[in-house]
Amino acid sequence: MASNNTADVIVIGGGVAGLSTAMQLAQRGSRVIVIERERLANGSTGRAAGLLGQLRGTEAHTRMLMDGVEIVRELEERADVEIFVQTGSLRVAATPERAQEIKDLVAMGKSINFEIDHIAQDEVATKLPYMKTDDLIDACYCPTDGHLQPAELASAYLKVGKNAGVEYLQNCPVEKVLIEQGKAQGVETAAGTFHAPAIVNAAGPWSYLVAELAETVLPTAAIGHYYLTTRPDEQNPVDRLSPAIRDRQQRIYSRPESGGLIVGLYGEEAIQYDMDQLPVDFDMSSLKARQDDIHVALLIHATQQRFPWINERTPMTITAGIMTFTPDGKPFCGKMPGVEGLYHCSGFSGHGIVQSPTIGVIMADLVLTGQTDYDIEAIEADRYHDIAGFQQRNDIKAKCYRMHADYYGRVEGSSHE
Amino acid sequence: MKILVPTKRVPDTDQKIRVREDGLGIETANLPFVINPFDAIAVEEAIRIRESQDDVEVVAIGIGSADYEAELRTALAMGADRAILIETAENLDPWNAACILAAVVADQQPDLVLMGKQAVDDDANQTGQFLAAQLNWPQATFASQLEFNEAGLRVHRETDHGIEVIQVGLPAVVTTDLRLNEPRYASLPGILKARKKEIDHLSLAALDIEIVPRIEVLNMHSSSTSRQCVRVQDADELIDKLRSDAEVL
Repeated sequence: MASNNTADVIVIGGGVAGLSTAMQLAQRGSRVIVIERERLANGSTGRAAGLLGQLRGTEAHTRMLMDGVEIVRELEERADVEIFVQTGSLRVAATPERAQEIKDLVAMGKSINFEIDHIAQDEVATKLPYMKTDDLIDACYCPTDGHLQPAELASAYLKVGKNAGVEYLQNCPVEKVLIEQGKAQGVETAAGTFHAPAIVNAAGPWSYLVAELAETVLPTAAIGHYYLTTRPDEQNPVDRLSPAIRDRQQRIYSRPESGGLIVGLYGEEAIQYDMDQLPVDFDMSSLKARQDDIHVALLIHATQQRFPWINERTPMTITAGIMTFTPDGKPFCGKMPGVEGLYHCSGFSGHGIVQSPTIGVIMADLVLTGQTDYDIEAIEADRYHDIAGFQQRNDIKAKCYRMHADYYGRVEGSSHE
Repeated sequence: MKILVPTKRVPDTDQKIRVREDGLGIETANLPFVINPFDAIAVEEAIRIRESQDDVEVVAIGIGSADYEAELRTALAMGADRAILIETAENLDPWNAACILAAVVADQQPDLVLMGKQAVDDDANQTGQFLAAQLNWPQATFASQLEFNEAGLRVHRETDHGIEVIQVGLPAVVTTDLRLNEPRYASLPGILKARKKEIDHLSLAALDIEIVPRIEVLNMHSSSTSRQCVRVQDADELIDKLRSDAEVL
């Protein structure tokens, strides 16, 4: 237990990234305090859909997600809660370019013995009777994918973390990061000063502001996101184990939720937020869409192309949240030159829930030993350090918005990545 | 049939509302405004009526500053045919709002006025009733279901004792309750069309209305939200605390 406001590690931010990191650190014997600006798991974590698609562009990233499932299985045992819902997942293609993407993806998956294969149109139609399939050219299916239930995941981190001695402070914005001779000393908050030689910045959309407190540039930008959740519909029942769907052409993803369907859109235009313009005690659950929000209209329009029974009159809930994007869509994990003892853990670009189990392990590795067995080259925090074009807020925002627009829009294989 | 839907522009109640320092109003800087949710239900119902019958026109009404156009466009994007903004900078109480609406009704001659049972900012729940009284029209408040028939409207009313079913002749004032419907999100074409629509502006002078306030706001204050929770050891300590600290026993 931490005492006298002193700990081994202070974690700023009580979303899944911070909670997972705190849990892992405490399990290895560290005294940890989590300091949350508002309420635990009520930021991006509380608004997330939690889709888990394990096969990513690189083997390192794929391995990280597959290991995450193992960690989650263990958490489920310890916290006695269902987190991972293994529904399987489908990618669908209605254009030759998107069909080529699927071909490449299947080939890549098979090369690393990942369970994935093409699936025939009639089989897709059988699996997903509520989806339009007559325009499909190709589709692929991965039976081991699914989604993580964000609330259950966060509560499991919390439960196991508490048992390991983590302290959690809520409604406690960090006002100052204390640095002496280039070394992190602690933080000042409304509730007093806390001391620790190591600080983890896991403040999600606010993380760039926390970095600024330490005169560090963290190139992330906050981007709004909407998804809809339909209510159960007798005509179009959605089984709780119906596969998740990704349709990159329509820029939508989907998964089952309580007898209805979640559908989210990665639109071309970023919904822009400057976190310093929001009230200090901003409650992300208070975000909502106007009845005539153009982004909701675009979401419903795109949804209707793949699920024709959903339209603006369909009873639904719109969930609004804020994501933290980076210029390359990959998170920042680790130290940056300048301040010793300050570690960043942010920028999950819409994939924080599913990356959090392994990220917690990686962050604990880095804080305690300075190294990790994971291949973290792609997610190192200092990869844009001092690089021109990634230092000014406006440049950073433009690059993050671009990444967000490309996220589903870009045809894979056509870029020089 | 012409349906008039008066709407009120209210602060989004999911946001944290802060009282102004002078205690006479709330801080409105950076505060998002929306159509009063009960009025959005009225707009939705009016659009559904138009979708199910021939020759129905839906006219959305707003009273307030030019900022109000944003919320009237919301009503247009959802599907209202046209909108009228009664421009005034006055702070209106329900009686005066009803006076203005009565003048608009005289001007527009609708067959039905459909409006929220109350606005979520002041929760007065009076304007619809005042309006019906001023017009000497039948009123059906707290509607949770509407059905047109030969004699007018059959309305299910949500009361504390259960559902009351009443019949009213037209023209009438109907105020909407939460369970009447679920307002739609505007479609993409709806939003684009709404941007091009003209919003008519009317002045109080043109309606020959003079505002004589009947309510004066003396002071506003936030109810306390900072509560300290403590764990008590036993019933005796609880009773003691209820007596001495809470002073409720």
